[in-house]
Amino acid sequence: MRAGERKWGGWRQPAAIAVAVAFLLPLWFMVSGSLREPGLPPPRAPELIPSPISTASYHEAFDLVDLALYTVNSLIVVALTVPLAVLVASLAGFAMLLVAGRARVVLVVFSFAALMIPVTALLVPRFTMFRWLGLIDTWVPLIAPALLGLSPFYVLLFYWSFRRLPLELFEAARLEGMSPFGMWRRLGMPLVRPVTIAVALLAFIASWGNFLEPLVYLFDPDLYTLPLGLRSLETLDRTNYPMLLAGAVVATAPVVFAFMIAQRYFLHEDRGAGWLGR
Amino acid sequence: MSRIALEGVRKRFGETTALDGVDLEARDGELLVVVGPSGCGKSTLLRCVAGLEAVDEGAIRIGDRDVTQLRPAARNISMVFQSYALFPHLTVRENIAFGLVVREESKQVVRERVAEASELVGVVDFLERRPYQLSGGERQRVALARALVRRPDAFLLDEPLSNLDAGTRVQMRTELRRLHREIGSTMVHVTHDQVEALTLGDRIAVLDAGRVRQVGTPDEVYGRPNDRFVAGFLGSPAMNFFGREAARRFYEIPKGTVLGVRPEHVRIGTHGLRTRVDLVEVAGSDAYVHLDRGLVARVPAHLRPDEGANVGAAFDRGAAHLFDEATGERREWQ
Repeated sequence: MRAGERKWGGWRQPAAIAVAVAFLLPLWFMVSGSLREPGLPPPRAPELIPSPISTASYHEAFDLVDLALYTVNSLIVVALTVPLAVLVASLAGFAMLLVAGRARVVLVVFSFAALMIPVTALLVPRFTMFRWLGLIDTWVPLIAPALLGLSPFYVLLFYWSFRRLPLELFEAARLEGMSPFGMWRRLGMPLVRPVTIAVALLAFIASWGNFLEPLVYLFDPDLYTLPLGLRSLETLDRTNYPMLLAGAVVATAPVVFAFMIAQRYFLHEDRGAGWLGR
Repeated sequence: MSRIALEGVRKRFGETTALDGVDLEARDGELLVVVGPSGCGKSTLLRCVAGLEAVDEGAIRIGDRDVTQLRPAARNISMVFQSYALFPHLTVRENIAFGLVVREESKQVVRERVAEASELVGVVDFLERRPYQLSGGERQRVALARALVRRPDAFLLDEPLSNLDAGTRVQMRTELRRLHREIGSTMVHVTHDQVEALTLGDRIAVLDAGRVRQVGTPDEVYGRPNDRFVAGFLGSPAMNFFGREAARRFYEIPKGTVLGVRPEHVRIGTHGLRTRVDLVEVAGSDAYVHLDRGLVARVPAHLRPDEGANVGAAFDRGAAHLFDEATGERREWQ
């Protein structure tokens, strides 16, 4: 371990900076591009800081389509979807841990199989189902997948994390008369917090950036989410790059912000060797 | 305080029989040590008593109650796990209080019992720490306190000392004995370590391949082993065994028997069978002398012979044991 650290020690920082630059540069150009005067074509050479700096593109973007409303709509959908997805996925993952032998294998295989099905393949059957239920043009089709944990991957992620915990912890709790729900709430969840945050973050990104499903299910512009708003911008003024980039900044900022909050928890969870009593 | 009794308990995992008709009783207030080699079913036995495994046949009684069909929490027993199974995200205090909190005891009761239990095992000074900040021995104490706090009918200890370093293990062994004397509850302690079994138990049950081979006090089990397995398993170095031909050099034994003699009963000196010293291992105050006829003797280290020396080896007939060659059962001298 220590030898490895020494070997990589000199490289780690430049490598980290290189990776950070590769990821930050497009973000930077997006922000700087959004601060150009509206209607200007893209600069011939990459422009780190535009001259003059102008926020007019933002005003224009918010005037042209109701970005504020779409942002609020997206926030509502995400606020309902993410907690529900985390709740269901973690409960399902924990249940998979508790069921015995063969049933567990069947559940894991079933989840894997479900994972292999592309979302687009489900689009038509789902649409038919939601239309039959009379739920088209509502947010329900956007939120409902969270009732299944949003993705089998999240369920499996929780299952694997719970399985990594020593079984004796749960047996000790059983001896004290704790219910399965109590074990999930008071032992399982506190011990897999980084996974919970990771799943919440992934669910947030998936839900926030979801373009296809709102496009299929929503017709009333008052219900549009932000990705549909961006498409409206593009439809209305296709060549106004500063304005399109202003819209992109509005759509990207919450994701970056969520990631910045989440990464603190990832880094703070390291409690060193013996954390799980091993 | 309650006795624990297993009556004809069988447990199978697929094709493997873990417990094969076990009849065993831990008397009221007794510290019973179940000892056996790895995979002999001793942990399964404990888990069946705890209710973590359902038995296929037979009955388990705690006190006067048949608990065979009861869920673990209804059996009112505490278990200490090999890995301690402390909850890593809770403080020592919260760990100890866990069972009481789950059972919704009042705050007053929780406070008093936690104070009492932590006092008893000596963890008062680190109640606010978390398990990962403790040494192995300290974790072990916390696990004991957690078991004590609920004042259960009986305690089950699953190899609680095996994860400790040698020094701490000896110290905790003594403390466990003291603790048992203080609280006087029935305890079933499972271990693969025969020294632990012999020093700790009021009585010992030797388990092999899911069957109880012998139950008795440490003196009985060590001094009068029921069969060849028990004789060979307990004692370090292991008992010497000779077939009829090899035994003839010392004593005539009946046909179809095997002679066994413990290394500490073999005398090295000028008398007896002439043999050469092959190897000498010194273990502190004792030395294990390997003779070239496959015989091992245990002698005080300061009296050990040199390697390569020619010595005489002898033992008293009364100190030797006879076992049936086919069944391994104990036979008496005629």
